Amino acid sequence: MEDVQVVAMLVRRCVAGDAAAWEEIVQTYHRRIYNICYRFAGSGDDAEDLAQEVFIKMYRTLGSYDSSKGAFVTWVTTITRNLLVDHFRKTKNDRITDSLDAASSSHEDAQPLSEQIQDQSAPPDARVRSREVGETVHAALSRLSPELREAVILRDLQDMDYREIANVLRVPEGTVKSRINRGRAELARLLQRTYRQVM
Amino acid sequence: MPDLTSNGMQCAEFDGLLTDALDGVLTGVRLDRFQAHTRSCPACGPLFAEVEAGRNWLKDLTEVEPPAGLVTSILASTSGVDTQRLRVNSASPQPRVTVWERAQAWASGAMQPIWETVRQPRFAMSFGMAFFSLSVALSVLGVRPADLRQVSLRPAAIRHTYYNSQARVVRYYENIRFVYEVESRVRELKRDVAPAVAPSKEAAPEKKDHSNDTTQEPEQKQERNYSQRESQLILAQALPGSSLKGPSLDDSSIERPSINDSSINDPSVVSVTAYRRFV
Repeated sequence: MEDVQVVAMLVRRCVAGDAAAWEEIVQTYHRRIYNICYRFAGSGDDAEDLAQEVFIKMYRTLGSYDSSKGAFVTWVTTITRNLLVDHFRKTKNDRITDSLDAASSSHEDAQPLSEQIQDQSAPPDARVRSREVGETVHAALSRLSPELREAVILRDLQDMDYREIANVLRVPEGTVKSRINRGRAELARLLQRTYRQVM
Repeated sequence: MPDLTSNGMQCAEFDGLLTDALDGVLTGVRLDRFQAHTRSCPACGPLFAEVEAGRNWLKDLTEVEPPAGLVTSILASTSGVDTQRLRVNSASPQPRVTVWERAQAWASGAMQPIWETVRQPRFAMSFGMAFFSLSVALSVLGVRPADLRQVSLRPAAIRHTYYNSQARVVRYYENIRFVYEVESRVRELKRDVAPAVAPSKEAAPEKKDHSNDTTQEPEQKQERNYSQRESQLILAQALPGSSLKGPSLDDSSIERPSINDSSINDPSVVSVTAYRRFV
C-alpha cells in the first residue's frame, strides 16, 4: 500500500519542520481518514470535524511514529479509530437511538430510510438508484454497534487485512473475523427487515 | 450458535473459516467440507447467506468525496500556514524590498483597521458634527483663527489674557438684564426686611448680649449699615459752650462739616456728610 522508506522519509522531513512534507501527508491521507470518520460517525459535518482532529493529533504525535513497529497507514488508522471511539463515548448520552424511519442523512430534508427503500424502484436513473441504495446501507451501517461497525468499515470499506485490523483494534485476528462476520450478518438482517416492511 | 457437527465440521470451525471462504482463499477439502456444512446445518446455512449479503451490500458503498476546504482547514489548524502558497512563493524569486517599502507595508497594515473605521459613513457624520459644534463654540466665544497667530505664549501674556478674559466674562455676566434685575430685586428685598428685623431684636433683649460676642458672625444689621454710604442729615442739640463734635462722633469718622454762613447763626441744625457706622 505504501512504500515504507518513502513514507518514513516523509515523516522525518515533517518532524524536521518541512511544511511541504506535512502537506503531502495531509493530501495523501485526508480522503481515507475522512471516509472512515464519515462511515463511523454517520454525518458529513461530524466527519469533517473528526478528520481535522485526527490530523491535529497526528501533527502533534508525529515524532512518536516508529516505522519498525508497523506501517504508517496502520498508525494513522489507529489514531483515527481511537479518536472515533472517544467521540462515540462522549456523544453516547446525546445520541438518539433512531429507527429506520429517522432521517438517515445529515440533511434535515432527507427522506426516512423506509421511504428511500420504497422509492427504490421509482427512479429510472441507475446512478440515482445506486446513490439511494448507498445512503440506505450507510444508514443501516450507523445502526451497528461500534465494535462491529469499526471492524466492518476497516475490512470492507478500507480493504485492510485482518492482521492490520487486529493491530488497530488491539484484538486477536480471530476476534476480528468474528466481528466482521457478525457485523455483515447484522447489516443484512437490518436491510432485509427494512425491505420486508416496505414491500 | 449451536455447536452442531455436520459432515465432519463443527459450527465453531465453520465460523472461523467463514471469512476465508468469502475471501476465496479456502480451497480443497476444507472448502468441500465447508460447503457441505453450509448446506446441511440449519444455523450456519442462513448465517453464511446473511454474511454474504451483508458484504455485497457494503460493496454498494462508494468512497465519499471530502469537502473542498478540508485540506486547507487541516493545514491551517496544524501547521498554521498555507504551505502551498508558501511553496509557490519560495519557488519564485523574491524581489528586493527596501526599508522604506517595508515601513510602508507595515504602516498600511497597521492603519488598515483605522482606515476601515474612518471610511464608515457613521464615523464621517460624527466627525462632521463634532467639527460643526467646535466651530459654533469658537464663534460664540469670539475666537477667530486669524487671532491665533498673534497669540503670545509668554507667561505674563497668558496671565494678562486670562485676567482680561475673566473681566470680560464678569462684565458680560453683570450686564445681563436678567441678572441685573435679580440683583436689584434681592437688594430691595433686603431693604424691606431690615425694619422688620430691628423690633424683633428689641423684643428679645437677652439676645442682644450675643451681639457683643465677637466670636460669632456679624449680624446682618451690621452688614446692612456698612452699605449705607449716603450723606445723612444729623440733628444735634448744640449745647451752649459745646463744640460741634458730638460725644458720639468719632474724629476719624467725621469729615469737616460744610457749614453754611447762614447756619452758623443757627447751630441747632447741622448738615454733616459722614460715613458713619451705626451699631
